[in-house]
Amino acid sequence: MLSASRHKTATHQEGRTSSGRSVLVAKLVAAAVALGLVLAFPALAPDPFILSVGVVIASYAALAVAWNFVGGMTGYISLGHAAYSGLGGYGTALLVTEAGVNPWVSMIVAAVLVGVAAVPIGIASLRVRGASFVIVSIALVLILLLVAQSWSDVTGGSNGLRVPRPFGTDVLRPEQHERFFYLFVALTLVALVLWWVIDRSRLGTGLKAIREDEDKAQALGVPTFAYKLVVFVVSAFMTAMAGGMYALWFGSLDPIFQFSILTGSYLVLMSLLGGVRSLLGPVVGAVIVGYAVEFFKTQYGDTQLHLVALGLLLALVVLFMPDGVIPWVTAQFDRFRPGDTSIREVDAAQLAEERKALEEAKS
Amino acid sequence: MSGPLLLQSLILGLLLGGLYALLAAGLTLYFGVMRVVMIAHSAFLILAAYLAWFFTAQTGLDPLLSLVITVPLFFAAGYGMQRALLSRLRPATLTMMSVLLTFAIALIIEGGLGYLFSGTQRRIQLGYSSASLELWGARIAVVKLVAFGLAAVSLLALYLLLKKTRFGQALRATIQHREAAQLLGIDTDRIAGFGFGLGLATAAVGGTALALDATIYPSLHWHWIGPLMAIIVIGGLGSIPGAAIAAILLGVTQSLLQIPMGTTWAQTVFYLALFATLMFRPQGFFGGRLAQRF
Amino acid sequence: MSSDPIKHSLATQNLTKAFGGVRAVDNATVSFHEGKINALIGPNGSGKTTFFNCVTGMIRPDSGTVTYQGRDVTGHAPHRIARAGLGRSFQLCRIFPRMTVLDNVLAGVRSTGLVHRLRGAHNPDDIARARELLARVGIEHLERSEARDISYGQQKLLELAGVLMAEPDTIMLDEPAGGVNPALIGRIATLVRELNAEGRTFVIVEHNMELVMSLSDHVVVFDRGRPIASGAPADVQNDPRVLEAYLGV
Repeated sequence: MLSASRHKTATHQEGRTSSGRSVLVAKLVAAAVALGLVLAFPALAPDPFILSVGVVIASYAALAVAWNFVGGMTGYISLGHAAYSGLGGYGTALLVTEAGVNPWVSMIVAAVLVGVAAVPIGIASLRVRGASFVIVSIALVLILLLVAQSWSDVTGGSNGLRVPRPFGTDVLRPEQHERFFYLFVALTLVALVLWWVIDRSRLGTGLKAIREDEDKAQALGVPTFAYKLVVFVVSAFMTAMAGGMYALWFGSLDPIFQFSILTGSYLVLMSLLGGVRSLLGPVVGAVIVGYAVEFFKTQYGDTQLHLVALGLLLALVVLFMPDGVIPWVTAQFDRFRPGDTSIREVDAAQLAEERKALEEAKS
Repeated sequence: MSGPLLLQSLILGLLLGGLYALLAAGLTLYFGVMRVVMIAHSAFLILAAYLAWFFTAQTGLDPLLSLVITVPLFFAAGYGMQRALLSRLRPATLTMMSVLLTFAIALIIEGGLGYLFSGTQRRIQLGYSSASLELWGARIAVVKLVAFGLAAVSLLALYLLLKKTRFGQALRATIQHREAAQLLGIDTDRIAGFGFGLGLATAAVGGTALALDATIYPSLHWHWIGPLMAIIVIGGLGSIPGAAIAAILLGVTQSLLQIPMGTTWAQTVFYLALFATLMFRPQGFFGGRLAQRF
Repeated sequence: MSSDPIKHSLATQNLTKAFGGVRAVDNATVSFHEGKINALIGPNGSGKTTFFNCVTGMIRPDSGTVTYQGRDVTGHAPHRIARAGLGRSFQLCRIFPRMTVLDNVLAGVRSTGLVHRLRGAHNPDDIARARELLARVGIEHLERSEARDISYGQQKLLELAGVLMAEPDTIMLDEPAGGVNPALIGRIATLVRELNAEGRTFVIVEHNMELVMSLSDHVVVFDRGRPIASGAPADVQNDPRVLEAYLGV
């Protein structure tokens, strides 16, 4: 076993390009299979309830990917992204009910408005380093909850708002779920493509540099504030889109759930769990956490223990797997494959040693 | 608006501001020694309030006596929390990860309180609960005065501790410049732990003061953490006097605004002030070197 | 202080920065010679790094001005100063630990406008330039490694490659020889000479006197936050004020 892995190291250099290609092919196949399964889910779901859980998880996936524009790329952790999804939801609802705008147009217009509102918020919270950003992110949810509950003329106060369904009343409940499931999956895909485009761009490299060392990035000429602001606004916009879509699906908005710190922290947990540095990490995290949350709700109902469980899980991830569960698992595997550690240099002494080991293995 | 009503609001605002000041001082201590935004501060505040309520409910003694237990307990918890949990985090991501970790602790406390004591609102009934003083027509509840007195005495003690003792000097040196403090032979890790302990002790005192005259429930801490965080940013992160001044000013403003706007809207003053501060003076109004970079 | 043929592209006027009661930089008026290798020396705690940080915008000075190529850049954001052509390294070397060596260098690419910035980071032009720079500092074989996994000396070379990617005219190095082995010091010195010969100005903070004396054309000596002497290396070496500052006589 040991000598076999050493052998692998020795052939690592020339094997890299072809193995890189086969890894890519394997990844593409896996992605295609996963997407196929996702798309087949509504057909496979045994009953409308499971289907609705699927819709919730898909909405979480869209939200988590949207969150990860800021969290993953810059390393700035927002606990208050519920503010943007909530605003997107309320904005959509108000445009539909008060102004009679087409629901889909409402959703997009509301998200654009949230994106515009995110500019001053970003200016206030991103000019200085992380602490202020976190504080503003939490404060924003708290203030919006206050406003939503108090300004009853507009927001319906604690009763919230009802949102008419975008598909006619002749479309039955399961059919609604199915359509919204696909809509959320599509939204998630759009967010993923956008994330991927930014991630691989020069902008993305600058953002990752900010995440690693903001001073250093600035000293290299990266306009850190502007970069952070761009992804922050994109993130707010995508989050609001998901929030608006949720409002159209769910049909009613309750301020307690719309502007909830808890929702924001689910998104953080999802992304952290799956790994903020990877494209699909938040999606994987959304499936795990989303399922766990829904499972907990149905099994134990409205108990305070879910707060304790969430807190413990979050603390464990932060303390022991800050890079995410998937990266952590991969790292554990990599330990047993010395050839794939990130030092790609093979010096003469090492080569000699490997040759010796190979010979020993042969004899 | 009548004169006595105005006076009453002013006094109530000052009294509330005193409590804010004590709690914000604790929050500033954590930030100073470790650059940590301690989200669980207000959860510990509510925990202390619950402990005071539970103490009185079980023993029938005055809740102030619970301080004998909660203050050392919280000090030790703060020290332990810093040494066992927060110091494990990687320095590069400390600010963000500590927020998440303390947020997680806040959730655990809130959930634990809800599980143990249910979500029911609790209130301590004391012999002097309904007593009040009259001053030129303004009515001020005695419990509020006691709460303020407690906060003021603790804040004064904290001030003396920081200014007059060697420990305080070491703590201030650690806050100002950790590396330099290490060069002076200060064990900054221990000091950081003690700084956390002190911070949490303010939550213990604050919680008891709060329990005297407020109705408490597990999720109440969210109503406190927002204003407190706003206060430390406006005061300038890391500056205890700054936090105290901002706390008093905002406490009074909030109290005065309650007359025309009602309690809910008056609370938004904290967030508006926070937003305006970050827009126009991100380093806060009384902040030092630290504030410019966080 | 200046004799005519010498040009000063980088200069400070009465620069002051205090931390609490301590003036780390105290009324410092300094000018560096364009196209030369300038050294900034002084005892520990004499304010050299703070001076660096004020000049490069990392810290806003309390008073005084910094001019670069005739423009007042005092208080400008660090990225603007960097884009004006002033690159820097950090004391104790700062790289992006969890990015690959190649991406570390690519982070220094100068780009403008949204379209330009949305171009793939791994485009052939940028990669070719980055590889060229990695080869120049001699660590091209490490390009796929994560930066945290390479040796400290290699990280120093990587930092320099990243700074070069941003195409600076003037490069400020904070203790380039600090903590590296003699062989590598020689390599860094050679690189500095070559880059200087291509027209780049250097300002180097360094404690290794042998290196300073052999490498630099112009030396500025700092003590207690301000320059106390400046001139050719040989002159400075024999200046009694310098000896006093170093030995505390």
